[in-house]
Amino acid sequence: MSTRERLRVLTAVVQDHPGVLFRVCGMVRRRGFNIQGLSVGPTDQEGRSRMTLAVDAGHAEVDQVAKQLDRLVEVIEVRDLTEEPTLNRQLALVKLAVTGPHRDRAVAEVDRAGGRVLDAGPEHLIAEVSGEQERVERLIGSLRPFGLIEVARSGPVAMSKGIPKRIAEEVSHA
Amino acid sequence: MNGAQIILEALQREGIDTVFGYPGGANLPIYQHLPEYRSLRHVLVRHEQGAAHMADGYARASGRPAAVFATSGPGALNLVTGLCTAFMDSVPMVVVTGQVPTAMVGRDAFQEADVVGCTQPVTKHNYLVTRVQDLPRVMREAVHLATSGRPGPVLVDVCRDVQQASCEPSWPEELDLPGYRLPGPPDRSRLEEAARALDRAERPVILAGHGVILSRAEPELLALAERAAVPVGTTLLGIGAFPVRHPLSLHMTGFMGTGWNLRAVQEADLLLCVGMRVDDRVTAKLDEWAPRAETFIHVDIDPSEIGKNRRPHIEVVADARAALGGLAELVTPPEPERRRLWLTRIERWREEHPLRYLRSDGQLQPQDVVIEMYRRCRDRAIVVADVGLNQIWAALWWNYDRPGRFLNSGGAGTMGFALPAAIGAKLACPEQAVWCVAGEGGFVMTAQELSVAVEHGLDVKVVLLNNFSLGMVRQFQDDFYGGVRSQVGLHVIPDFVKLADAYGLAGCRVERLDEVPAAFDFAERTPGPVLIDCRIDPEANVYPIVPLGKGLNDFRELPDEYA
Repeated sequence: MSTRERLRVLTAVVQDHPGVLFRVCGMVRRRGFNIQGLSVGPTDQEGRSRMTLAVDAGHAEVDQVAKQLDRLVEVIEVRDLTEEPTLNRQLALVKLAVTGPHRDRAVAEVDRAGGRVLDAGPEHLIAEVSGEQERVERLIGSLRPFGLIEVARSGPVAMSKGIPKRIAEEVSHA
Repeated sequence: MNGAQIILEALQREGIDTVFGYPGGANLPIYQHLPEYRSLRHVLVRHEQGAAHMADGYARASGRPAAVFATSGPGALNLVTGLCTAFMDSVPMVVVTGQVPTAMVGRDAFQEADVVGCTQPVTKHNYLVTRVQDLPRVMREAVHLATSGRPGPVLVDVCRDVQQASCEPSWPEELDLPGYRLPGPPDRSRLEEAARALDRAERPVILAGHGVILSRAEPELLALAERAAVPVGTTLLGIGAFPVRHPLSLHMTGFMGTGWNLRAVQEADLLLCVGMRVDDRVTAKLDEWAPRAETFIHVDIDPSEIGKNRRPHIEVVADARAALGGLAELVTPPEPERRRLWLTRIERWREEHPLRYLRSDGQLQPQDVVIEMYRRCRDRAIVVADVGLNQIWAALWWNYDRPGRFLNSGGAGTMGFALPAAIGAKLACPEQAVWCVAGEGGFVMTAQELSVAVEHGLDVKVVLLNNFSLGMVRQFQDDFYGGVRSQVGLHVIPDFVKLADAYGLAGCRVERLDEVPAAFDFAERTPGPVLIDCRIDPEANVYPIVPLGKGLNDFRELPDEYA
């Protein structure tokens, strides 16, 4: 199996305790999986965080990643979104050292790619781009000739499309 | 109340009566208050690894958890091997370690170690407690997590200042563990599907693991096997889940399983695995395991075990007892004629592949020692084996008919397990005879715990199967590594009879078979621990054995010329 076929995209709702990230990462490493991308942030519920993980399942059966995550006491809910219609977004900040005529071309390139210039000084630009991984990588590639000096990228955040059946029922009863 | 008292009170409230521990700088507040808690029996070990193995043996023998105390840094780290042993074999244990004071954490203080970090891979869950008001909840959760579902060790690391801080404990009524869900009753439709598959099967085999013993499902297993007329094998840790002398018994499976078991597994058209991990010691080469099984049914309480190594056709996530009980009701007893052919074939394999051992040329054969033990004890004794040849001899040459009679480190394979685990087993079951079977290699790894057996006057009878070598490693070198015997000779070892004397217990030596009965007589009539140093044939091996990397079909037996 190629890395792409082994790649799972999962979300996990976890208790917001110290060390939870360490537990999750430790489990992934111990089981021979490999984290390709990771993001963590608070949810709308107090004491709960949500992680999005892109994990290479390595030589393991692909459902092992979700099962092993779910085994952790502080992991409340795991969803493997790999087979579901999903929105997947990443964010990147890109710093360019640009002056003179290059500058306008760089701004145009950022615009063309759907990014935004967040900060501009006499010798630099900082642009933001978000989107699916490929799109983010394409933009970074297209800005490279303009004197790219720094890139900061987030891990993925993912959400399945539509409303889970359980919640849809709750909404219709409300 | 201070934190130390809350810890002790919590253990008492949870019904824990025995603590194996070792005091040190970071857990002294607990030891200061320990004498106030008279219902807690504390056993002072001689090394922390011994404490973990004792608690392990205690739980395996009785089904009840014990507690372990250790201090920070090296004290806690000495537990790691024992935690791993218990974790791999799903044994409950509640461990409380002292940690340096809260303000010192992370400053590389004296005897500081990241115990929560170090023990995460070898515990079911662990905690670092930095606020005294968290202790009542954490202690309750720790016991619940250790003992429920698939059991395992849980560690609570408590900063020393937290042990000394005061608070009015608030004992939670309900536990709030939103990420910890226990499996409900087995899915009825899956059970029905499994029962229909069993009804249809021509050559069914059941393999039972430790989960059957942990959920006390032996009656349900027996009922299912008899009703559906299905032969039953066990894993090394499942020994005792099904009576070895039952006509449907296939005895032990796997890498060093019996020939008739392996033939049956390889020919089965249906394989039902219950309460087991389907690990490499069971399957040998996975691609070649159970090649004719058109239906593989896997029952386990832990969903992550299902499909981890072999994807089942029918999966049942449930407690073994509930699942086996449900299956026993749902299967249709076959016409006797339908099973005759299959059971007859197995009978023939049993005759073709008997367990056998080296023809004695005057040297003491270890199997003879085990057989003599069995002749005397039957299933009245608990046998605790170490790791290596001694473990497999004890597994194969004793007819275990009941669960909890044979304890050993199956998953981790921890040398040095037997003596401390036997001590724990004896403390848990004082009415039972307890035999510790070990090689001289593993025995010396934890031999200092003899003092504990002497101090408490424990009737633990230690049978050393002494071959002056690391026998299983030697056999592997002989059979699979070109016959190069490298670093396996233990020519310089203690005089074990003198060692026993130095520790204050009785000991004797046996070099010939005709001396064995007298030695056992001596051990049985001498109160307290006794050590018997059996000088066995250094060339004695374990057979059958599957060569490393090969499939079960390739199992090797004792060559005829030696039998």
